[in-house]
Amino acid sequence: MFKKLLLSGVALASLSAPVMAAPPENTIVVGLSADASTFDPAQISSRDNANIAKHLFATLFQVTYEGVVQPYLVEDTKVSDDGLTYNFKLKEGLTCHDGEALTAEDVAYSFNRAADPANAFTGNTPGFVYTTLGFDSAVAIDDLNVEINVKSPTTLALGMLAQVYIHCKDSYEGKTAEDAASNPIGSGSYRIARWDRGSEIVLEKVQDPGNFDNIIFRIIPEASTRTAELIAGNVDIITNVSPDQVGAIDASGSSKVRAVSGTRRMQIGFNLGEKVADMPGAKEIQDPKVRFALQYAVDVPGICEQLLGTSCERMTSLVNPPNGNPDLKPIPYDPEMAEKLLDEAGYPRGENGVRFSIRLQGPRGRYLADASVVQAIGQMLTDVGVETEVELLEWASVYSPLLRTKEMGPLFFLGQGGVTWNPLYDMSLFSTPDAATNYQSWTDPRWFADWEIARSAESPEAARPVINRMLKLFYEEGPWLQLYFQPDFYGVSNRINWEPRRDEEIDLFYATLAQS
Amino acid sequence: MTFIVRRLLQSLIVIIGVTLITFSALQMSGDPTYLYVSERATAEEIARTRQALGFDRPLHEQYLSFLGNLVQGDFGNSLSYKRPAIEAVMEALPATLELTLFAMILAIVVAIPLGVAAALNRGSPVDGSIMTVAMAGQSIPSFWLGIMMIMFFGLQLRIFPISGHVPFIMPLVQGDFGRAFSQLPQTLYYLIMPGFAVAFYSISRNARLVRSSMLEVLGQDFVRTARAKGISEYAVVVRHALRNAWLPVVTMIGLEFGFLIGGVVVVEMVFSWPGIGRLIFNAINQRDIPVVQAAVVVLALVFISLNLIVDLIYAKIDPRVKL
Repeated sequence: MFKKLLLSGVALASLSAPVMAAPPENTIVVGLSADASTFDPAQISSRDNANIAKHLFATLFQVTYEGVVQPYLVEDTKVSDDGLTYNFKLKEGLTCHDGEALTAEDVAYSFNRAADPANAFTGNTPGFVYTTLGFDSAVAIDDLNVEINVKSPTTLALGMLAQVYIHCKDSYEGKTAEDAASNPIGSGSYRIARWDRGSEIVLEKVQDPGNFDNIIFRIIPEASTRTAELIAGNVDIITNVSPDQVGAIDASGSSKVRAVSGTRRMQIGFNLGEKVADMPGAKEIQDPKVRFALQYAVDVPGICEQLLGTSCERMTSLVNPPNGNPDLKPIPYDPEMAEKLLDEAGYPRGENGVRFSIRLQGPRGRYLADASVVQAIGQMLTDVGVETEVELLEWASVYSPLLRTKEMGPLFFLGQGGVTWNPLYDMSLFSTPDAATNYQSWTDPRWFADWEIARSAESPEAARPVINRMLKLFYEEGPWLQLYFQPDFYGVSNRINWEPRRDEEIDLFYATLAQS
Repeated sequence: MTFIVRRLLQSLIVIIGVTLITFSALQMSGDPTYLYVSERATAEEIARTRQALGFDRPLHEQYLSFLGNLVQGDFGNSLSYKRPAIEAVMEALPATLELTLFAMILAIVVAIPLGVAAALNRGSPVDGSIMTVAMAGQSIPSFWLGIMMIMFFGLQLRIFPISGHVPFIMPLVQGDFGRAFSQLPQTLYYLIMPGFAVAFYSISRNARLVRSSMLEVLGQDFVRTARAKGISEYAVVVRHALRNAWLPVVTMIGLEFGFLIGGVVVVEMVFSWPGIGRLIFNAINQRDIPVVQAAVVVLALVFISLNLIVDLIYAKIDPRVKL
């Protein structure tokens, strides 16, 4: 009986053995932590979802690895003198995946469909891109020329346009919302061959660019399972490698970990707003000298080494390198200096050794090692006499609403995404004192006066002196206790050549087999 | 028949209770609107989105509207998937049923021989070994067991797939019998590790239950009489003792499904199993209220149906039970 069972097991295993084989040479397999929720171009909002969608839909522009915005579907660009109208001439011979010619009318439709309030779309394009861009309207001039109108001049325009997915009007006009979400008809290099929800999404190549005939995105939520699949050779790239698994991957011989300093800016925000004004510590952090002193109290390189499993340099401003102010040097960890500056600011230690008390709130499970980082910082602040009560909260139901209503803190841990292609994008978090992303309610009039000058400059280069002045102000008196650019860990099989990007985008167009 | 009608009416009350509890719990966990607007959304945009999602209405109105739609089988559209919530749930349900049913079968087929063997060898090393493993099974968390199985059987020995799923029920439902049965070996192959990780606790508990139940029955007069009549030991154990020891196990099976469903949430995450547990987990994180409600109602219906079936079986195998 036992022998029969054993033989059956072996037979079963042999039947199934092919499914465990390494991917074929014309296929690249990526292990993601979350499935796509929708492929409606106007509804896509999560990073994982967008990383798949960018292979399906072309865009007018694209941002390179190096942070350069370059044309994708566009052949020529003209900007009106007032900076409010962009005229784009499209490349000739463009088509959508259903064979329909892709014209200026389709581009205008793609933009206007996402903006139409009747559609009530909640994706990244209408919610974030258009708000940042100040999108007004899109008009087709002829088959190849389309005009995009914005409400105010901005140097961010082309970079923001790189996030708007282009599709054909005829393919989408008759689609129901459900059909648009499930059956995309794109304009990019790949189309969906199969979508087994929750399991995998298989893309097949339609046109260049792209070196692999097929891309398979496998949905593997658990980090250790993703690691095991990578080491076993079943997937080629995995995202969000946990720092404690870096050693196992590097020692496997089949793959290695690539760590990049990401563009997400990790900080302790100082909430200077009225909603927490009555909280302990809120009054003290209104003083820029206190905020500057506290920078010295936190050992950022130590946090990276001990808790994030990589080395890092403390950031000097909210702008991603290489676009920051080169004259600013990272503030070192120097608790004695912190104590000295706090004394000078008028907050000496009391008889119990405490200068003042404050609450530090942070999310749990939102960012890399967030709970440990927050607790470590809480202890470091306490060590210099700022008695810090650490409170860890669930992100979706508690932390996020508090953040949006600016009731966090007075100290709060946060990571905010940035870009490599324009410093003004990173700085636009503080576009006005009441901007939604000004969670700190920072109101320094010098910053906002300079912001208007920088924003209306012809280019970031032209605004450079003003940008440097603003970043120096931010460095000395800003509303952030500056930490680090969040490191991102990718596991990459030795089978392929692929370089991760800093901006959390997964770009597979130029990945190749290692031996080719 | 009266029993079935009575149970169906009770089920209706249970379903309403389940929806009310789910609705209240989700509402207490905060306003989900913020998860569906961009970081840069203005107050007006947030208000507009809240209205579009229907969260600006009074709570009682939202609930009554939900109940009204529920009667018509409409759970609303998923906030994140942008399609009917019930579709997302029904798409994930077959994978969970495969895993849960496989685990239930393991929990019965493995547990009963182990329990019987332990009872028949009471106090011996066989009994000690089985009970030690059973103790371990009740102590080891399923997610940890799953990860260890992946590391050992999937990565070191490479005899089982690390993660993934090959559907069987879904092609059956779609009428594609050829595909369903042709890939059945692979379905089972992919089920072994996650199925065992889900079932290990139940196997252990059931084995202990069968053992104690068997020990009680084996000491009774009718067993002694059967042996005195010269009936073979096999017949004594299987036809007389096990048949009587079986009743508590059947009761447990009725509750087993609910227990296993609870366990599959974590195991589905570990083994990348595209089931309803994972769907609920993601939906809760996304505050996708329609999907959570649809999933909970569907699971409650499955649970109620299974319990009803078990009660009917119980009455069938134990003549003392009157429905």
